Amino acid sequence: MAGLLRRGAERYALIGVWGLMIAFYWAIEPADFGTSGTFKTIFGSQAALVFLSMALLCTIIVGEFVDLSVAAILGLCATIVPVLSVLHGMNVTLASIIAVAVGTSAGAINGILVVGVGVNIIVVTLGMSTLLLGIALAVSHLHIVSGLSDSYSKIALADVFGLPITFYYGIAIALVFAYVLGFTPLGRHMRFVGSNREVSRLAGIRVNRIRFGAFVMSGFLCGVGGVVIAAGLGGFDPSSSVTYLLPTFSAVFLGTAVVQPGRFNPIGTLAGVYFLATGILGLQELGYAGWISDVFYGAALIIAVTLSTVVRRVAAA
Amino acid sequence: MTVQPGEIHGLVGQNGSGKTTLVKLLSGYHAPDSGGEVQVDGAPVGLPVRPAELHRLGMSVVHQDLGLLDDFTVVENVRIGAFRRRRLTRSIRWDGERQLAREALQHLGHEIDPNARVRDLLPADRATVAIARALQHHHPGRGVIMFDESSRALPRDSLEHFHALIREVAGRGGSVLLVSHQLEEVLSVADRVTVLRDGVVVASGTPTSELDEHELIRLMLGYELDSRAPARAAVTRDGREPAARARGVCGRLVDGVTLEIGSSEIVGVTGLMGSGFEELPYLLGGAHPAQAGELTVGGRRIDLATACPRDLVDAGVALVPERRDAQGLSLSMSLLENVTLPRVRVHGSPGRLGFGWQREEADWVIRELGVRPPAPGMTVGNLSGGNQQKVMLGKWLRGDPRLLVLHEPTRAVDVAARRDLMAVIFRVATSGSGVLVAGMDANELQSMCDRVLIMRDGRIEEELRGAAVTVEGVVNAVYRNHSNGHAAVREGVA
Repeated sequence: MAGLLRRGAERYALIGVWGLMIAFYWAIEPADFGTSGTFKTIFGSQAALVFLSMALLCTIIVGEFVDLSVAAILGLCATIVPVLSVLHGMNVTLASIIAVAVGTSAGAINGILVVGVGVNIIVVTLGMSTLLLGIALAVSHLHIVSGLSDSYSKIALADVFGLPITFYYGIAIALVFAYVLGFTPLGRHMRFVGSNREVSRLAGIRVNRIRFGAFVMSGFLCGVGGVVIAAGLGGFDPSSSVTYLLPTFSAVFLGTAVVQPGRFNPIGTLAGVYFLATGILGLQELGYAGWISDVFYGAALIIAVTLSTVVRRVAAA
Repeated sequence: MTVQPGEIHGLVGQNGSGKTTLVKLLSGYHAPDSGGEVQVDGAPVGLPVRPAELHRLGMSVVHQDLGLLDDFTVVENVRIGAFRRRRLTRSIRWDGERQLAREALQHLGHEIDPNARVRDLLPADRATVAIARALQHHHPGRGVIMFDESSRALPRDSLEHFHALIREVAGRGGSVLLVSHQLEEVLSVADRVTVLRDGVVVASGTPTSELDEHELIRLMLGYELDSRAPARAAVTRDGREPAARARGVCGRLVDGVTLEIGSSEIVGVTGLMGSGFEELPYLLGGAHPAQAGELTVGGRRIDLATACPRDLVDAGVALVPERRDAQGLSLSMSLLENVTLPRVRVHGSPGRLGFGWQREEADWVIRELGVRPPAPGMTVGNLSGGNQQKVMLGKWLRGDPRLLVLHEPTRAVDVAARRDLMAVIFRVATSGSGVLVAGMDANELQSMCDRVLIMRDGRIEEELRGAAVTVEGVVNAVYRNHSNGHAAVREGVA
């Protein structure tokens, strides 16, 4: 019983901290924080981060630790949709399909270079990130392109039980991802590839195929995320994509402290996303603005990675 | 326990009895609980031991895994932590460093290119490099040198030299702590022995002259155990298809090996380091690509030059490699996950893993091989070395392989664990599989094998069968023809 309690305390400590944080904000800002609006903002506005962190998780699980290009891939895809449909008059569905294809291809190129050729992942994805940001700025002529139709925004903003449908997309992706990892041979293979490639290869796992697949899946998720974001905002500011990168890493690393301590996991990552959203919103409602997100996300990344390192050490002992 | 100046002190105990933990406490890798005390040359040492202080105290350690950096050169590995610098520029004096490294290696009777990368060395040379690193800081007449299973990777010819060397260290008044599973080695080399059981000293500094192997085993286990191989059920093989046929296998060292392994047959393959016997398992298991050769298993012909491990796994070949941490097990995953890995594709449908069979397999491995503690969810890295070995064997045995390929399956494993492992390998053989055991331990080969093949210069040069498979027979065959070829070069240096 004591052991069960201790395990539970380890697994859900982050949830406890989250609860304390909510209680704290609630206590000092009851008028602003303690409203259903706050609740909606926290759970309804994180679509980009949810898609990005799930995409990053794909490659991190198979042992590719620093895909720096996810945010830029999502940004390019979110830019392509309004550029094609608003500026070039293309059918918006076709534009969305093209955007998803572009995202998937970008992931595949990452995969070919990192897995096929064996180039260092930091170099490849850092270059890819800057390259795609540049392309996004070029196709949008350095402007925010908006004007997507209201009816199209339904795919992101449709109200379901008081929250936009993107929230449920995130839940669904995380649940499917968690199922794949925990309950299918593919997921077990992914975990082993991330843990020890040679052991996996000798057990008959097609290691490179799995690594490549993870990059493609990551690109695909970025593409879908881009389409959803563009639909929700009615357009996209291509230069804003870079600001998503840091919180994505923070959320994924925070996730290692929850549910399965010491392991990257989708449900924990989702908790990480909303944890960060709560923190930043509370600070904003306290009157801090502008610079606070840099300070908060930067600090959160350092703390999250430190925490993840410590938790992994404790979990191993 | 006390290690006297000028003595070689053996430290023995079963896997998990605390030998390695003790060495790691003494070398500062782990911090001890309070209440203990350590003295070196009469002076108390502050606890926890600070690794930086070890050189000054004259303490050095050769750890079980040797602690080498694969991507660095021999000279860098030997001299790390002790580089001498030029006064002005603070840059490393490489000429001098290379000279010092060469001297340290020559002292061990080995000529190893100081500029070679450690990754490219043979296992015996890797061990030599690690031992050279430990010995170079030794001041005659002082300090303690601890060897944690470090002689296990040495071939027999360097082993004698290694023993002579530690006797020399002891002869000049230094102390040697020798941790080993080779009871024979401990009894012949050490002056006194300390035995650990479950983390407690059960015999402290007993002179080896008062002990024999039997008595030592009794002390380690706390009960009587027959140290000979377990019984093996007799089977008739007449008229049955052989389990596997290999033809014209060529690799980096192996140069055209053709062999046949009968159903229920256990075949040993041995030789001097570099003769190719240590490469053969990896060629047959598909871990290293072969230059040529084919393997026939279960009616399937596989071209080893193009095969990937998956093809061989699917054909029923199971490779149990020597390097557990690098190739055998994923240390950060659980026992259950490691055991079931090769069969996850087969048992689960693409959409469902299924947990009943996994639990059942993990329990089977724990029960059949006697894994301690019996916890399927335990992270494998937290198990002791011998128990990890059991998990690695169990992982492959559970798949009922047609051909089981083992490389040094019972190295660094205690007596009781070795017996458990052998018993399971025997059962696999009895059920009709073919088994190939590659190893250097003549004792192990003798107690397991129906036939032993001796390799020399990449080829099978000799075969011992039936009554000819004895320890002496194997050793003599391995060391025959010393006067020519590769073997002569090594022997000449040693």
